[in-house]
Amino acid sequence: MSDTEKGISRRSVLKGTAVGGIGLAAGGSLLAGCGDKATGALAYGARSVDAGPTAQNEALIAAYTAKTKNEVKYNATESNAFQNNLSQYLQGTPDDTFEWMAGYRMQFFAEQGLLADLTGVWDAVGDQYSESYKIASTGLDGKQYFVPKSWYPWGLHFRKSMFADLGLNADNVTNWDEYLKMLDGMKKKGLVGFAAGDKGGWEAMGTFDILNARINGYQFHVDLLAGREKWTDAKVTEVFTYWSQLIPYMNPNVLDLEWDGAMQLLLQRKAGSMLMGSWFGGNFKEQSEADYADLSIIPFPEINPEHGRDTIDAPIDGWCVAANGTNNDGGADFLKFAGDMEGVNATLAATDKDGKLIPMTSANSGQDTASYDPFQKEQLAVMAEAKYITQFLDRDTRPDFAGPVVGPAIQSWFKNPKDVAKIQETLQSQWEALPPLA
Amino acid sequence: MSIDVELQQAATKYKNKQKVKDRFISAIIGVFAIIWVFPIVWTVWTSLRPYKDVRANGVFSIPKTLNLDNYTQAISRMELPLYFWNSAAITIPAVFLTLFFGSLIAFVVSRYSFKWNVSLLLLFTAGNLLPAQLVFIPVFKMYITLGKALGIPRILYDSHWGVVLIHVAFQMGFATFVLSSYMKTVPKEISESAMVDGASVFVHYSKVMLPLLRPALASLGVLMTTWIYNDFFWALVLMSTDSKRPITSALGRLQGEFVTDYNLLAAGATIAALPTLIVFFVLRKQFVSGLTLGSTKG
Repeated sequence: MSDTEKGISRRSVLKGTAVGGIGLAAGGSLLAGCGDKATGALAYGARSVDAGPTAQNEALIAAYTAKTKNEVKYNATESNAFQNNLSQYLQGTPDDTFEWMAGYRMQFFAEQGLLADLTGVWDAVGDQYSESYKIASTGLDGKQYFVPKSWYPWGLHFRKSMFADLGLNADNVTNWDEYLKMLDGMKKKGLVGFAAGDKGGWEAMGTFDILNARINGYQFHVDLLAGREKWTDAKVTEVFTYWSQLIPYMNPNVLDLEWDGAMQLLLQRKAGSMLMGSWFGGNFKEQSEADYADLSIIPFPEINPEHGRDTIDAPIDGWCVAANGTNNDGGADFLKFAGDMEGVNATLAATDKDGKLIPMTSANSGQDTASYDPFQKEQLAVMAEAKYITQFLDRDTRPDFAGPVVGPAIQSWFKNPKDVAKIQETLQSQWEALPPLA
Repeated sequence: MSIDVELQQAATKYKNKQKVKDRFISAIIGVFAIIWVFPIVWTVWTSLRPYKDVRANGVFSIPKTLNLDNYTQAISRMELPLYFWNSAAITIPAVFLTLFFGSLIAFVVSRYSFKWNVSLLLLFTAGNLLPAQLVFIPVFKMYITLGKALGIPRILYDSHWGVVLIHVAFQMGFATFVLSSYMKTVPKEISESAMVDGASVFVHYSKVMLPLLRPALASLGVLMTTWIYNDFFWALVLMSTDSKRPITSALGRLQGEFVTDYNLLAAGATIAALPTLIVFFVLRKQFVSGLTLGSTKG
């Protein structure tokens, strides 16, 4: 990436267009003046081939094309493949607008000049979003590179009917001791207390996130993930100490199960609780409406009273515009529509093959929360209690650190929970061995 | 007479001994066959079960229903015609070009002696040792740079030809190696008499050597087809438009972002494996003879 392509302000682009704009076409964001007028055909890169998101995207694109007459070419890739290949994708011949994640994952690519500046979009629709979304959409240079679509919280999930059978009240599980007592009760009944799977390497990162935030607080957590704190810190040791207290209540085959194996334990009423992102509710809904109605979520219990339950992992999904795309203008214009309540409504109106609405918790504050189903309302309540929002470990730190280093480190900890010191040293030395960011 | 009886007894004894031995060997082969076949059978078995059933009752539960629903769903979700066409557009040219170039190089290095012929063979064979993951960044950058330089960004990157080329480059080393060792078993006298009869280099290659190479080409063709058809990596990193990618990528379409329906995936995998099986059965005779031919010098 040449440096001239980075940090182009709207004003300099305007000047640039005045002198022909040659050479800026590759990386410049020609946002100025994009309104309802035609900005031309564009390509849309979807990060999912699932039925639900596809129906939502199609509804959104249809509404956009109907309004602006701009054609949209749809290019959907399976999410893991898309994610692993994103660096190449953005350097090559990317689609103009593509689905991506907020926070560090976005900033990483924005820093390399691969994303187009979306400040103009935020000028237009920014007042429809709360401040935390804007922060999550902002790159390190203070400009916005991302437009949020939806979010979901990470919390403790359980089945209401199981809690009723066990004589438990979820409202009484607010701190660590109460939680351990509850897990103990479940264990005595022959149940798995804390369903866990970490075969994929990412699942347990959510547990690390929440334990670290509860014990050491939000600031330490983000500083640690950004490399400003050390993994060898005694505070990190503390996290593993608390984590090891959960091990007796976990299913023994943690490393043999992926997240869905853990979910099956909950679905089959073999496990009492599971820490996971609420997105998996879709699986319960698919199984049966009764199972979905039975699903419930509470915030992870408090450990350190100083921090209470003030932090939550709530990943935000949304869109970016690729700087190397052929129509940056069109991409930004599309996102202006998608980010506006008009686009959000079009997305929310999408239905699945049975004609049912697809549940989505939109990032736009204009979404009527009265239309939420009970499970979504609980998610909202869990979210509302938190003061700080984190994205999830693999979104909050360098991608070349999260997947290749943290994932295996946690897996090796499951194999030998006593080896904490060695694992912490590995994590720190691997972080230090990372190449500097371009 | 007594000698006859003794002989007969010895023969029966030998036969019995042989029988025991045979049975023992059969048993071992049988065990290996079961180990070998098990994953395939399990895949097919999985593909017949609905995911809903597995999710509710576990993988090892006794199924309530067995049906072909996963297949119908896989076929509709994978957009089979499109992705099969993409696979064909990549695999067929790649296999033919690999065999063509491979046989040309093998012909030169094995039939003509010049200063660098062994080094040349080594160079092509050594190319095999480079893992794809090691060279994909330079290849990717090269494709992008070339596209930018020519003003046609998709000339190699994100095009079928780009993927075909990289497959040819990667597989040629192995093809050269196999074909040259096979050619070395063809008696030199054939070449000599061809040259005496006045055959030019090209006639020598196309009219004399190529027909003799048929079994080797067929077996190599089957192998190459399988390898190139099964590739996912190059198609992923060298393409950005999913609708241009081969069938291996279509399998990804059956995999959700969060939910992986392994039963559906098993059905898709079974469907995707069919073409390689067909190619194998069509070329089976040549394949088997090609494997053994060339193994002995003669």
